Amino acid sequence: MLRTVASSSLAPSVKAKLIRAGFCSVADLQELRPGQLSKEVGVSQEEAAEILKTLHTDALPVNDGGLVARGVTALELLQREQAQGSIVTFCSALDSALGGGVPVGKTMEVCGPPGVGKTQLCIQLAVDVQIPMCFGGLKGQSLYIDTEGSFMVERVVDVARAAVEHCSLLAEDAEQQKAMKEFTVEKILSCLFLMRCHDYVKLLAQSYLLPSFLSEHPEVRLIVIDSIAYPFRRDFEDFSHRTRLLNALAQHLNQLATQHNVAIVLTNQMTTKVWNGQSKMVPALGESWGHAAAQRLILYWEGARRLAVLSKSSRPDGGHCCHTRSLWSAHTPTP
Amino acid sequence: MTVLRVGMCPGLSHDLINALQSAGIRTVEHLVSTNIEELAQKCSFSYKALMAVRRVLLAQHTAFPVFGLDLYEELLCSTAILSTGNPSLDKLLDSGLYTGEITELSGGPGSGKTQVCFGVAVNISCRLKHGVLYIDTSGGMSAGRLLQMVQAQIPGAAEQMAALQRIHVYKALDAFSLLACLQEWRAAGLQLMSAGSSVKAVLVDSLSALFSHLVGGRQSNGMSMMMQVAGELKLLSKDFGVAVLVTNHVTRDSSGVLKSGLGHSWSHVPHNRVLLQKVERPGSHTCLRVAELTKSSRQPCHLQEELDISYSKNLNPENQPVTS
Repeated sequence: MLRTVASSSLAPSVKAKLIRAGFCSVADLQELRPGQLSKEVGVSQEEAAEILKTLHTDALPVNDGGLVARGVTALELLQREQAQGSIVTFCSALDSALGGGVPVGKTMEVCGPPGVGKTQLCIQLAVDVQIPMCFGGLKGQSLYIDTEGSFMVERVVDVARAAVEHCSLLAEDAEQQKAMKEFTVEKILSCLFLMRCHDYVKLLAQSYLLPSFLSEHPEVRLIVIDSIAYPFRRDFEDFSHRTRLLNALAQHLNQLATQHNVAIVLTNQMTTKVWNGQSKMVPALGESWGHAAAQRLILYWEGARRLAVLSKSSRPDGGHCCHTRSLWSAHTPTP
Repeated sequence: MTVLRVGMCPGLSHDLINALQSAGIRTVEHLVSTNIEELAQKCSFSYKALMAVRRVLLAQHTAFPVFGLDLYEELLCSTAILSTGNPSLDKLLDSGLYTGEITELSGGPGSGKTQVCFGVAVNISCRLKHGVLYIDTSGGMSAGRLLQMVQAQIPGAAEQMAALQRIHVYKALDAFSLLACLQEWRAAGLQLMSAGSSVKAVLVDSLSALFSHLVGGRQSNGMSMMMQVAGELKLLSKDFGVAVLVTNHVTRDSSGVLKSGLGHSWSHVPHNRVLLQKVERPGSHTCLRVAELTKSSRQPCHLQEELDISYSKNLNPENQPVTS
């Protein structure tokens, strides 16, 4: 193994001491005991034991199905992707543009001006992820992180009631009838976890606690952060600091989505960009934030209609699709 | 700085190492640069024994000079040019990706960097029938899209599956795991990673997702990790004769001009750099992009070409698509 000391995940001051003492690669350190190491490098014995433990854990392969350590062929990855489901939105045009629904294991960003329906879409997804598997759903739980205070339980009850009604109309065979007995509004509400974060520090802290939350609740298949723009758009004077925090958060969320197999949906606001005498509405949080999510859905108004554009995804069509007001009405979700 | 260890060379016994350490000499460099006569007087070992050890260590650790002509001939036999699958991009890059070199593809969100990477991987796997190692750092990999592209190039299902098996996907979700991955490949050899088929390309999509939040702050640790990755990629490309393609994001400088991200230090690392931009046509959304060559070892800079990134038709030189 050619792991160098400089590439290990130790603190920079510790690395500097090790390199000054002449240790180049991790193999040099493996035969040493903590006592010898502390004498040679000049650190305390506890620190030396800590160093050896960190290097040992670094060398162990990560347990995530071999994606990091071993790598998979594209064929195996294709089979895994086809086995994974996606979360329907109950709007057929949107679902077909997204390739079946919101994909699990990836991050998606939903941007739009105020009132266009981002929070409604998130609430719909939080309910739809709980649809039983015999109806084509994922039977998962969802986590809703609310930063703006726009989460309304009454609306969730409406959407849940409509979803239950829709599924009970579709139930045909015995298995589906049995599943419908468990798929009630109370069950849907009890499988929806809500967290409230009022500023960006709390949001970042919460994101670092998410891995342990997801390990305790392995059935969670969707995380919604509504919205990610709000806490980062106020109280920030240093924009480069904000960009770095956002990029770190984005990478952390990508890591969570892949390792724990959850779909992550983020909502973003829009801002006006003035360029060459023209003004355009673009997603907020800056240009480098555009690289954060794997897919980006932009919702906008055209007259009285709402339209959606998939401006970034793994499919290159840049699909345009439209959806109308009746989408999230309480009574008839359009299948 | 290599620490002196027992058994590094014949004559380097445990007693000799202890004697050298008590004289304050711990590393090979230190031993080779001290005066052996004084050292022989300080330790209880003979001048001859110390000179023998010094000669062997020098032979083990020096670099060998090579004649330019030999280097040129070696380059001619070992360099291959891999087509990217997109004729306009090939024209921009002087017929394709060269093995032994790092090419960087930068662009804004949605500009098509991941699609171009998919196109390169699919072309090398289907047409050239070589292996590809694809490192995905941000979750942008979609095997369904790879299958769609493979199906556009090869008709039979069995060959399509074989082509997909030649593309190996690794997920590196932070800088440490990327470095670990690259160092492991260098130690074990790329052939082991691909179970037989010879690997000709390593794609990293995207490098900026891992490093853009680490560089630029007050700590220099992030910059050091990025430079270590650069060093590993260069060693990989030279030692194993592979072409390396990395993707990067873009930023705007103070006058509003687009430039590639990751800063000034990174800009010296790739041998060729291409900037992708969307074509601003009002109304419809097209699959056309404009690629500009911003750095190259062979071509004049600021060449531009229009690219079609839909990869839905067979884009080989026999039937060029008509671009309007």
